[in-house]
Amino acid sequence: MTDLIERELSLPGTPAQLWRALTDPEWLGSWLADEVALELRPGGEARFRFGDELRDGWVEEVSPPMPGSAPGTTGRLCFWWQAPDETASRVTLELIAGGDGTTLRVIEARPLEVLDLVGLPMPGNAAGGARYGPALIAAAG
Amino acid sequence: MSDRDPAGAVFEALADPMRRRLLQTISASPSTATELAGELPISRQAVAKHLTALSQAGLLERERTGRDVRYRVTPEPLSDAVSWIANVGGQWDERLARLAALSEPAAGPARPLH
Repeated sequence: MTDLIERELSLPGTPAQLWRALTDPEWLGSWLADEVALELRPGGEARFRFGDELRDGWVEEVSPPMPGSAPGTTGRLCFWWQAPDETASRVTLELIAGGDGTTLRVIEARPLEVLDLVGLPMPGNAAGGARYGPALIAAAG
Repeated sequence: MSDRDPAGAVFEALADPMRRRLLQTISASPSTATELAGELPISRQAVAKHLTALSQAGLLERERTGRDVRYRVTPEPLSDAVSWIANVGGQWDERLARLAALSEPAAGPARPLH
């Protein structure tokens, strides 16, 4: 079973222009959390602070969008995070060009069964989150 | 329990950040309205109003010990999945509202987005 949340937000600009809001620590620190440090490569470390709460995680995918607003232009950032004493979940932030602007699609998913067995799937774990993560998300959709 | 759609009532009750915070505090330890008002930056009347909303959604139950009425979190209907979806969904609504405000022209941190 996978618990899943999906949200969409329309933003002005092209995916390439908006990519900074998803990757620049200053921007991320003004909407995603109080402080964000992301190592922008697959397997990179991710840290988030919400008030007193610290979350650790890792980056699964970094796919910057191509310039321009042609249909089909997308950028995608995907990471895992885990609040203390909670199950890890996977966050996908996707920028999709369309019409006048760009749609930001957010998916946060918590694939319980696998995570109950292996905990937070860090790169290098035998279970390798990057390998089974996408399949689980697809199965949930 | 309200006679509305139970899941809808739960989501409605949890749409408010202060009610989520109350629920979190109460889930850590059952509390009286007075104790909650001491811990949170809102008045006892506001706490009482939120407690009523949470109770009507079936999220809290009252327990009388002597002269005190203590609130505790009910295991139903707030299954783990429902509470996760409501909580995390509410957090994303807040984050996206911040991002939407920042993406307005002339808003945002030091550097503009475009």
